[in-house]
Amino acid sequence: METIIIGLSIASILFLVALGLAIIYGAMKIINLAHGEMVMIGAYVTVLATKHLGANLYLCIPIAFIVTAAIGYGLEVIIVRRLYGRLLDTLLATWGVSLILQQLIRIHLGLGLFDIHIDGLGSDLQNVQVPELLRQTLTLGDANIPVYRAFVFIVAILLGCITWWLVYRTHFGAQLRAVSVARGIASCCGINEKRINSLAFAYGSGLAGIAGVMVSGFKTVSPDMGTPYVIDAFLVVVAGGVGHLFGTVASAGILGELQSYVSSILNDVYGRTAVFATVIAVLLWKPQGLFVIRSR
Amino acid sequence: MIRQDLIAARKHRIQLQCYVAFIAILLMLPLMLDAFWLNRIATYLVYGICAVAICLSWGWAGILNLGQGAFFGMGAYMMAMSLTLASPDNNPVPQLMLLNMEPTAPRELCCITPGSFLWIPFRWQAVGVAASIIVPMIMALGIGYAMFKRRTSGVYVSIITLALALIIQLIIINNQPLTGGFNGLADLAPLTIGSFEFDPYGNSTYYLVTAVLAAALFGGRYLLSGKMGLILRATQEDEARLRFLGYEVEKYKMLAFCLSAGLAGLAGMLFVICAEFASPALMATGFSVSMVIWAAVGGRHSLMGACVGAVLVNVIGAGASESPLFQPIWPIILGLLFIGVVLVMPNGIAGVFDSLLDRKLRNGGAAASTDAKHVSPRPKTSEAR
Amino acid sequence: MSLSRRNLLKGAAISAAVIQAPLVFRTLSSRAWAADEIPVGVMYSLSGTTAIVEKSMNQCALMAIEQLNAKGGVLGKKLKPIVEDPNSDPRTYGEKARKLIIDDKVPVIFGCYTTASRKAVLPVVERRKNLLVWPTWYEGEECSKHILYAGSAVPNQQLENSIPYLVNKLGKKKLFIVGSDYAFPRGMAKTTKIICQKLGAEVVGDEYLPLGHSEWAAMVSKIGKSGADAIFSNVVGDSIVAFYREFRNQGYDFDKLPLCSSTTTEVEIKAMGPEYALGSYVSLPYFQSVDTPENKKFVADFKAYAGADSVTHAAMEAVYIGVNIWAMAAAKAKDVAPEAVIDNAGGIEFAAPQGKVKIDPENLHTYLTPRIGQTQSDGQLKIVDQYSEPLVPLPYSSQGETAEKRICTTKGAML
Repeated sequence: METIIIGLSIASILFLVALGLAIIYGAMKIINLAHGEMVMIGAYVTVLATKHLGANLYLCIPIAFIVTAAIGYGLEVIIVRRLYGRLLDTLLATWGVSLILQQLIRIHLGLGLFDIHIDGLGSDLQNVQVPELLRQTLTLGDANIPVYRAFVFIVAILLGCITWWLVYRTHFGAQLRAVSVARGIASCCGINEKRINSLAFAYGSGLAGIAGVMVSGFKTVSPDMGTPYVIDAFLVVVAGGVGHLFGTVASAGILGELQSYVSSILNDVYGRTAVFATVIAVLLWKPQGLFVIRSR
Repeated sequence: MIRQDLIAARKHRIQLQCYVAFIAILLMLPLMLDAFWLNRIATYLVYGICAVAICLSWGWAGILNLGQGAFFGMGAYMMAMSLTLASPDNNPVPQLMLLNMEPTAPRELCCITPGSFLWIPFRWQAVGVAASIIVPMIMALGIGYAMFKRRTSGVYVSIITLALALIIQLIIINNQPLTGGFNGLADLAPLTIGSFEFDPYGNSTYYLVTAVLAAALFGGRYLLSGKMGLILRATQEDEARLRFLGYEVEKYKMLAFCLSAGLAGLAGMLFVICAEFASPALMATGFSVSMVIWAAVGGRHSLMGACVGAVLVNVIGAGASESPLFQPIWPIILGLLFIGVVLVMPNGIAGVFDSLLDRKLRNGGAAASTDAKHVSPRPKTSEAR
Repeated sequence: MSLSRRNLLKGAAISAAVIQAPLVFRTLSSRAWAADEIPVGVMYSLSGTTAIVEKSMNQCALMAIEQLNAKGGVLGKKLKPIVEDPNSDPRTYGEKARKLIIDDKVPVIFGCYTTASRKAVLPVVERRKNLLVWPTWYEGEECSKHILYAGSAVPNQQLENSIPYLVNKLGKKKLFIVGSDYAFPRGMAKTTKIICQKLGAEVVGDEYLPLGHSEWAAMVSKIGKSGADAIFSNVVGDSIVAFYREFRNQGYDFDKLPLCSSTTTEVEIKAMGPEYALGSYVSLPYFQSVDTPENKKFVADFKAYAGADSVTHAAMEAVYIGVNIWAMAAAKAKDVAPEAVIDNAGGIEFAAPQGKVKIDPENLHTYLTPRIGQTQSDGQLKIVDQYSEPLVPLPYSSQGETAEKRICTTKGAML
């Protein structure tokens, strides 16, 4: 029972980070290695907002979304826009972006060079005050459920629903799907392809920012915290099947439960190994991921 | 048509001359470098070999291996195990096993810790040297067979290799009594062949690395200018048609993938000789990605370009991190460099050089079409698939 | 033909530029040493994962060197620190150590924080017969004559006090050992088991997590179910924060299930928020709260040097000890050459912030005062137990080394 709940909790974090990537990679075919840095920035926004603005964790969610979405928008316009159709080049360019973003946090956005230090930035570990309510524990049967993890789970479900609605039930979503299936034809039909791409990239980055807020409450906040998340999220998205929201949900769930289960009966090292091995097995068995959009 | 051939042949010759000049310069370097820079450049040339391996699999066969570090690391470990046993402190069993053994276990290599018998063949250095090339190739053969049989391609290959490298890294770290764990193997003897000892700081190691690099460059070039190169190039243009024509595309991809793995293992072996240690850090994702970046900066389609890229990126990185002025911002410099390369010169330094050469030849010789490329594959279609 | 020659020249020019680059950087980076200066290497990561702690160690080393210079330097010469950034990567540690020793010709390197980095530097200093002054507490099992283990605690100095404290003072009988997956936690676990056996306590679990892993839910729930009544933690780095937070979030309490850590310093406590660590124990020879005149001065000096909100911690104090003991050994030897310093380091005593410390002449490790601190709500550690005298360092305690029967002696390790 407890194992299942822990698995759900791991899955919800995986899903939160992977959701944004599912849009950016799935719909736009951009391998965004700077996605982890968006998570990191989201976490730092939380640190700064709680320290300097006195905001609480809930309020940080919209703030972080706006900040990271804005950065994502800028990134798309300056760099990513020039790289559509060059999948592997996006990997290199965004790796460069992630190096830069990490170092910017370390040197206090560059102010550190002039000996100006902002409390909450720099290469130290940071911490975030969590509201009293989220520090409680619920008891369900024989299992203790930290309220914080339940909260993360709910946020993940909510964002999943919002994203589903946005992609499958709005005009924007229809345009986005059109662009992702056939770029040229979509343009011909009068869709402003550039605008759609920028917005989608911004939205995906914003989701990563929210994921950053969520993890900041119970994980470590430091400039290089993002790298493990982006690798995990990427495995989730690809194993789930590209361009398939449900695939991402399913693969986050499976990998999360798997890690939790193997960790509880063996140990965490094997838990991780099992996750990686499963991803390999899935991709060898179904080279396009678990769920494939039948197209053509 | 004859003119086109003429231009291609001329270009081919010029490129060959560049290769020769490059190696010649490398051979002369020891005259002007001190021991430290000699060792450092030797290490960077080892990275250059890695970049050549990436160029082979990525630039030519379209296989972006994000787990190249696993092959490099395996090569390094094979050599390091052999050199560990050669060190007098580790006779008859390595210290790391003495420290991790059960008190009652016999103090022999066969059974001191579970699995320690795997070390026995490495008492012979020749085994270490051979295994550092063969083991990565066998690994590549296994995973490559599984992947290419099912026609896995593009980013899926990258993810599989990435996950594979992560697994191998976890296993090595977790089996400390056998592998030295996270700290790796550091107590190594220098490589000795016959009675000749390779001093990591001396000319001997440097020339060893240069010789291997030269062999890799010319060997790779020879291979790619033949049928294999043509088919790989055609694969990137239109894989389906090639298959239709009856070519077994997978076979050639496998060959490129395995050769690349073997070359990476060889580089790992040389790294151990230069740097005197092996650790799981060599298998980290970041290091694998850096290899790809070296190749991208230098030019992913050009063997020599990739090699020059590796040396250049590392020299810039080392220089920037060591000069007090740039120290706080050197990761930013590197980041901007990568972005700049991707945006401004997608085919890297070699690509720029290549197009300059083309223009020159065309102006000087005949009005040939740009298709007269003899050596560099230029995929027109996106690399997505 | 003329064309190809031109292009050949161009190719040569590019290659030459590549080759010239190091020379350019060299002229930029290498400075001519004045006759009244001694170059010393300072090598702590300023970027990468361990920069969090190493940055403060770098500052501390520079401060200690500055203080020495203000007092007239060493042998009448000023120390000239050469700072290198190894980027938290063992590969780069080895490379930078080479640069310092061969290129800058330093007689000593103050550096490293993780054992993995020390292992990468070890072959460099051994082969070039140089000297590394190593600061961090570590798993022992090393006996190099080219490393001065100054201020660096070994397992017996962290465990001979803390395990009896848990068992005898707090009356706990079932211990769960948890750590990151590498040599230090495994070495600590070995010594812990030896001590537990002597005390009649039981080790109910001995588990490891990958380094940098931040998903603690499964492990914490496993600890809870194991029936353990005390935890000994050898978790390092970023994972510490996630571990303590998860522990609290799952509703456990350090009052009922006490935890003693060998690695959690003031830095990590500040990072996780002191309320999450409240009541947990730490076993280290130094805390910021140590009440000695030397420490008051040390803390004040460092705050003046690095900013009022900076904290001092054990690894930093060890750096401070290292720089000072090296200077004293060099003064005694009347020479800064690595071998002269090593030969004269044995027996040197220094009034460190933690109290008196002494270098053991047999194994070049340090006599240190074991202490146990309990985390307070302000993030400081209140000392609840301390030895009156420094304790002998036994790097091979996991192999049964005792003060009478040494494994590591001046001749090397006799396993």
